[in-house]
Amino acid sequence: MRKILFFITLATGLFADNKEFIDQIQGDSSVWGEGRFINIPTYYDNGFAKFFVDWQGNGYFAMLAAVAILAVIVAFAGHYAIVGPKHFSHSHGKIYAFNVIERLVHLIAAVAWVVLVPTGVIMMFGEEFGGGFFVRLCKNLHGLATILFAISLIPMFAFWFVRMLPATYDLKWMFMVGGYLSKNKKPIPAGKFNAGQKAWFWVATVGGFFMIVTGALMYFLDYPAPVINETLGLSQIDVLRLSAIVHNILGAACAVFLLVHIYMAVFAIKGSIHAIITGYKEEEEVYILHHYWYQELLKKGEIKPSVFEQKYTNLK
Amino acid sequence: MSSVRMKFLCDLDRCIDCDGCSVACDSGHELALDVRRRRVITLNEGIPGKEFSTSMACMHCTDAPCAQVCPVNCFYIREDAIVLHDKNTCIGCGYCLYACPFGAPQFPRGGIFSTKGAMDKCTMCAGGPEETNSKEEFHIYGQNRIAEGKVPLCAAMCATKALLVGESTEVDRIYRDRVVARKYSRGASQTPSTYPGNAW
Repeated sequence: MRKILFFITLATGLFADNKEFIDQIQGDSSVWGEGRFINIPTYYDNGFAKFFVDWQGNGYFAMLAAVAILAVIVAFAGHYAIVGPKHFSHSHGKIYAFNVIERLVHLIAAVAWVVLVPTGVIMMFGEEFGGGFFVRLCKNLHGLATILFAISLIPMFAFWFVRMLPATYDLKWMFMVGGYLSKNKKPIPAGKFNAGQKAWFWVATVGGFFMIVTGALMYFLDYPAPVINETLGLSQIDVLRLSAIVHNILGAACAVFLLVHIYMAVFAIKGSIHAIITGYKEEEEVYILHHYWYQELLKKGEIKPSVFEQKYTNLK
Repeated sequence: MSSVRMKFLCDLDRCIDCDGCSVACDSGHELALDVRRRRVITLNEGIPGKEFSTSMACMHCTDAPCAQVCPVNCFYIREDAIVLHDKNTCIGCGYCLYACPFGAPQFPRGGIFSTKGAMDKCTMCAGGPEETNSKEEFHIYGQNRIAEGKVPLCAAMCATKALLVGESTEVDRIYRDRVVARKYSRGASQTPSTYPGNAW
């Protein structure tokens, strides 16, 4: 008789409902179940809660982001006023740099980041925006844009990661800050991507990956994650605290690099943004700013020797 | 700062895990299923001499860490130290939960993509910023029994009177008298006097 009853209840799906109910009333929650009580000592023992309350409570996260962003903007204004932008001839040949899929993936990532960074900063300064509907909308857009970025992350990484590996001439590039401190046009030691672009690439992909992971941890909040908890040796609530800390600090770095990226493409090198729209880079720009890539293309016979060989020196 | 300070205290020697407090809270405030403002937890279950139960909700801390970390500053602390918040300002980011030692803040998952809704937590039956005892206040924050001169539901419902709520010196006095009378004590769960937010 009991067996029959058992099968009847199985058939009516009572067990499934029960599981759902237990989930819903947080019966097995690691944050709100027993965790409510057993997590109290972790609040005092390890430093995550203290660090988080200290930094967030005193507004250090927001200050860090604000100072970094303002410093970058001031530096750019200074650079634009003192050194000024670089102009390259648009009337000579063009070199095909990015195929249509690369450009499309970049576009998806670009849209995502242009939403992610401002909404993130608005959330950091939520009080100044009065909270409520507007900041909540930003929070939701932040989540939606993450999906776009996650879609573009893997192809972007796959397309470019080999060319983004560090090379010895990157050090030279860094010592001369990419030649951006002078208006002199002479070939700069850089491959298809210079050391600055490489740094940005790693921040955007590896940093972006950690931003997605920590953001997702905070978004889903309460879930059984024994793997994460055991590898890190942390309770669920401490995982969340750590995520918030990492997300805030790394987020400031992402915001800074995005601004640098936009400044370079739009202001510092006039018209260079067209390379990622049309796929073609100006021949002079490639010759000067990506000299080793020019030499590589020349060696492969993909381009003819440039007229700029006579005009400028040549890097060995 | 007013000298009145409201607080909860759960007498661990009296709590019998009957769940009267949490059921009263869920029902009286007409809470959604995924919001549990108050919860009874039994620890060391089955270990003789070590098993005990306690009732846990927002402890209405002094200088509450949730209020410190809120990025939109939706918290406000009443004269009598009850910690409340404005759900219309809240963006549901979850920071208050990370800052809370007691896991008090709750997040209903009603929206599309199951985004976190506005935070919900124990109000010590003191409602919210809406007009006192209005329909809106009840709908968003639950009953405002303090305004009606009544004891919060959980403590009112407690069968063994393990859960005490009220002015802190009075609550402490009752607990002290009990301990003196029964001559033993496992302790009490209450807003800790060495709450870290004060020390940091």
